[in-house]
Amino acid sequence: MNGRMSFHYKSSILLLLRTRWVGPYLLLPPMLAFMVYAEAYLSAQGVTGIFDMEQRTVLAIWNASLLLTLIAGVNSCLFFSRLWGSFWFRNSLSLPVSRASGFWGPFLAALSVVTIMYLLTTGAVIAALPDIDQFPWLQVLAELYVPVIWAVSAGALLGLITSGTAGSLFFVTLMLFGFLTSIPSFFASSAWLQVVVPPVGRIMTLCLVYPSGLIQAVILLVHSVVAVTLGRLLYSVGMKRR
Amino acid sequence: MAPYISIGGYSDPPRIPHLSFEVNHSELVALVGGPGSGKSDLMKCLAGIRRPVRDSIRILGAEPGSMRSRERSIFVFQNFNYAPDILIRTQLEQRISLLRGVPSRKVKDDVHDWCERMELLDVYMNYPGKLNLLQLQLFSLAPVSLTSPLVVILDEPLRNVSDSSVDVALSLILPAVENAAVLALVQKMSPLLEKADRIMDI
Repeated sequence: MNGRMSFHYKSSILLLLRTRWVGPYLLLPPMLAFMVYAEAYLSAQGVTGIFDMEQRTVLAIWNASLLLTLIAGVNSCLFFSRLWGSFWFRNSLSLPVSRASGFWGPFLAALSVVTIMYLLTTGAVIAALPDIDQFPWLQVLAELYVPVIWAVSAGALLGLITSGTAGSLFFVTLMLFGFLTSIPSFFASSAWLQVVVPPVGRIMTLCLVYPSGLIQAVILLVHSVVAVTLGRLLYSVGMKRR
Repeated sequence: MAPYISIGGYSDPPRIPHLSFEVNHSELVALVGGPGSGKSDLMKCLAGIRRPVRDSIRILGAEPGSMRSRERSIFVFQNFNYAPDILIRTQLEQRISLLRGVPSRKVKDDVHDWCERMELLDVYMNYPGKLNLLQLQLFSLAPVSLTSPLVVILDEPLRNVSDSSVDVALSLILPAVENAAVLALVQKMSPLLEKADRIMDI
């Protein structure tokens, strides 16, 4: 990648490593601890049934993925909205840089940072769990990485079309709606919802009876691709506007 | 030789009904206009980050915004060019390396020496927010003296420069005129007018 392609990527990485953007990820450990405690409590009360070791493992990784998705989505909405709306970013397009990299650079930078966070978080969770023979680690990790990609993609689109706060609120609402998909009766009501609503929760419930949930992961990936493509188109339009 | 900057029939009603002129090699042209006269919007159009109502702008023979028009051109905007959350040194090195077409590490010494010469060494490791307006203005003009542009377009480059520092700022701009076409968008009292080869009203 030469300087013309990497200028916005490098700048975005430098921005994303500032405390303002890394700080929210520090919420992950306490939130994760709270979720694990709450799930253990509900399980002990007989609300959620009894999970076997494999299911607990999936649930632990899913907790990490879900919380990271939430933080990454909100962070992305705020970051992209602030970045693409700034004077310095617009002025930077007068430099000899690829204009397409003004979209892809920040997007890939945000995805890189979130991916590192995902690896660190799931790594810590896995390290804390007992070893399980013949557990499909890679498949579960890959499937539960998809919501994280979706969060950054949705954040990029929402950051372009609205303010950071409004985008964040919309993202959280969308994610809660996606969470509802973990309820089986939700899908029974209408089949088209399976495609339209981001199946964030469905991935988890299907993972619990692993190895499954691949179709939901693909659907969520398609959601991500659509969001990024739309974002890229709107970015082009926005940069050419009067 | 074709003009380095050519504006034919630029229009931004109601402020600018019609504007046509050219800036040639080794020429400093000052375009004078009061606040709100449309100078900054013209600047954005020249940089290719705003679409004018009607225009026929060419920078180095290419359309504004095309890579060819930006490769050897420097645009100094009024609100400076720096991101508030990245060190000035990092940003300056990035920009100089981009304009020279070499890796950042190869311009570190030049940037350091330039800052030393301009007595900015003690602030170049800061974030832009920590700098005063004069320092920011000088850093914005740094690429003009640290590279060899063919086109330099400046939006009120001396606005934040005190009387005692005008010569310092001019020493960054004027040497570039030798090899480049320089267009300065300024207000009536700008000290740059005394140095201009041509003065035009917007």
